[in-house]
Amino acid sequence: MILGVVRLACDALPDVEIVAEASSGPAAVEAASSLTPDLAVVDLDLPGIDGVTVLRALRDRGFAGRIVVVSERTDGATVLDAMRLEVDAYLPKPDGLRRIGDAIRRVLEGERAIDAALEQAAVLELGRFARQARESSEVDSSLTPREREILELLAEGLTMQQIGRRLDISPRTVETHVANLYRKLAVRSRVQAVSRAASLGLIELR
Amino acid sequence: MSRRPSPEAAASPAIRRKLGVVLVDPLPVVRAGISLLVDGRPDMEILAEAGDGKEGVDALSRVRRTRVVVLVGLGLEGERDASWLIRTVRERFPSHALLAMGANADPTMISRALFVGADGYVDKNVDPVDFLGAILKVADREMVLQGPVAAAVGRIADSIELRRDLDVRLTGREREVLAVAAEGLTARQIATRLGVRERTVTTHLGRIYGKLGVGNRLSAIRMAARSGMVSVGSPE
Repeated sequence: MILGVVRLACDALPDVEIVAEASSGPAAVEAASSLTPDLAVVDLDLPGIDGVTVLRALRDRGFAGRIVVVSERTDGATVLDAMRLEVDAYLPKPDGLRRIGDAIRRVLEGERAIDAALEQAAVLELGRFARQARESSEVDSSLTPREREILELLAEGLTMQQIGRRLDISPRTVETHVANLYRKLAVRSRVQAVSRAASLGLIELR
Repeated sequence: MSRRPSPEAAASPAIRRKLGVVLVDPLPVVRAGISLLVDGRPDMEILAEAGDGKEGVDALSRVRRTRVVVLVGLGLEGERDASWLIRTVRERFPSHALLAMGANADPTMISRALFVGADGYVDKNVDPVDFLGAILKVADREMVLQGPVAAAVGRIADSIELRRDLDVRLTGREREVLAVAAEGLTARQIATRLGVRERTVTTHLGRIYGKLGVGNRLSAIRMAARSGMVSVGSPE
């Protein structure tokens, strides 16, 4: 359906021709990096693959052309992700499809065509993102090196006793550290502590 | 049910408080212009203005309101620069809304302001109506990004993420060493400045390179500058 719409739109633009069509993420990435077109239209809602992953793969493979995105996803997080991958246009489905020819033309002329409402959603997400980053850094600087160490071991799944043996301190001391750690992370259990620390980017879950 | 309206409800339209704005910017002409704009509105008023960070905080501690909008010019420099002011207001007056303003600020500067606690950014080159609109939006706790920078949303997010990663990966001391190194000092000069031995500084630097995955000082400084952790060049 999208392919048909894009074909029609491009036919109506005098200086535009389609050099390749793909119906899967990997095929699109392959085509874009071998043919290096000026512009790629990417549907973020391909079955079986996250569209943002496709965008990232395009940029990682060195595709430096312009990108026009069409998607049903209009949440701030997705739009912000797309903007971080330097898309030039983002059209919501299905209404935005009517403007695809216009968007392609404007983008080729060096303009951006991101809906005001979508851009606003991305800006709100950016606000949340900044707040969370600040919180991560504040929580991080409140932790002592010992608490960091214990946090890593909690994340590995060690019990209090195992942690005590590993660090050569008494289980009682471990408990005190863990209590402080919970307080600083504002959580009540080990599972919460680990998941919160991971979401703050303080530890990496393997 | 009594039909008599409560005194507050009856009086509220008449005595409804204007939105209070406190303005901190180093440039007198900018302050004068913004004051005219704000005071020209029936629903806003300038409560105080200041030309530097310290005056700004002093002015705020005299304001007897729980919620005002603080406009912070990113051109504030020195030890009490815009970042200091934003952090201080966040800490001491957490209920106030903070709107950073600059003149064609780059994404890194904006990301730094947001990271330290600004609720939004407005560029001084926008239309006055949009400028006032931005003040009303942050007063409602809505994030705003007003000006040509809206196109840089993605780059601002990249920079904030890098800053968070650097903050989490480096210790406080390592960040301090990196900030001084960004001024272009030698290891010996850094040591003198921080009151430690030169060996300690080179050890710190080595550890910093390792954590950041870079091979030399220039790359480390470049990364820190991109994250807004250290500033290289002019603030506005």
